[in-house]
Amino acid sequence: MFERFTQDARDAVTRARDEAGALGAERIGSEHVLLAAVRVDGVAQQALTGLGIGADALAQAVRARHGLDDDALASIGVDLGAVRAQVEATFGEGALDAAHRTAPRALTPDAKKLLELALREAIRTERRRIDTGHLLLAAVRAPESAARATLSSLGLSDDAVRDAVGVAWARAA
Amino acid sequence: MTGTDTLLTAAGAAEPAEGLRAVRSLRTLADRLEALQVERARRQGWSWQQIADCLGVTRQAVHKKYGKTTGRVVP
Repeated sequence: MFERFTQDARDAVTRARDEAGALGAERIGSEHVLLAAVRVDGVAQQALTGLGIGADALAQAVRARHGLDDDALASIGVDLGAVRAQVEATFGEGALDAAHRTAPRALTPDAKKLLELALREAIRTERRRIDTGHLLLAAVRAPESAARATLSSLGLSDDAVRDAVGVAWARAA
Repeated sequence: MTGTDTLLTAAGAAEPAEGLRAVRSLRTLADRLEALQVERARRQGWSWQQIADCLGVTRQAVHKKYGKTTGRVVP
């Protein structure tokens, strides 16, 4: 299936492993594929930038869903950034996120579904190649996915994301 | 929203969702810090009893939780 992926989409899938490992995940989830898709230079990154969301904000939202919520902690006066800096000074980079020394290899069913949906989105949009824009469209297509929940936690509606991908494609054309 | 407003909102439970997320995040934070500190103490040769005393729990509790992951760490 990967032969139809553009280089940036391939890079995203490869990078998803590192994102999952850095966030202490046991397996690669759809949210890590999404995050990786936005980290690499491509349509997904342009689309979310157009909506005012950068990759770091997305990473923060993924962490929040897994129990470390910067904003919620700030609301009770705990500066997670300061805690992270102290902990990493003592225990090394990534310590607070329980980062794994070896990145996971297995995909969650959720992540597999996202890749399948990206293929379907490519067929639907009548494009021969699957790029990061299709990965982003797939994220909002899967109703129960962690990727969609992460986007939704940032206040991004499915329609807003779809429109932004359309705009980014039009610009790239 | 200013920091003070946010604090009052969360503390006053006007926004339970944010307050509850803060509680969950504190728990996660405490769990991660505990795991890091226990591992370091074991590496430095601390006994399970010494660690348990510091954490205010029983030796069995701390050993059950971390014995498999950090018990056999070679310093």
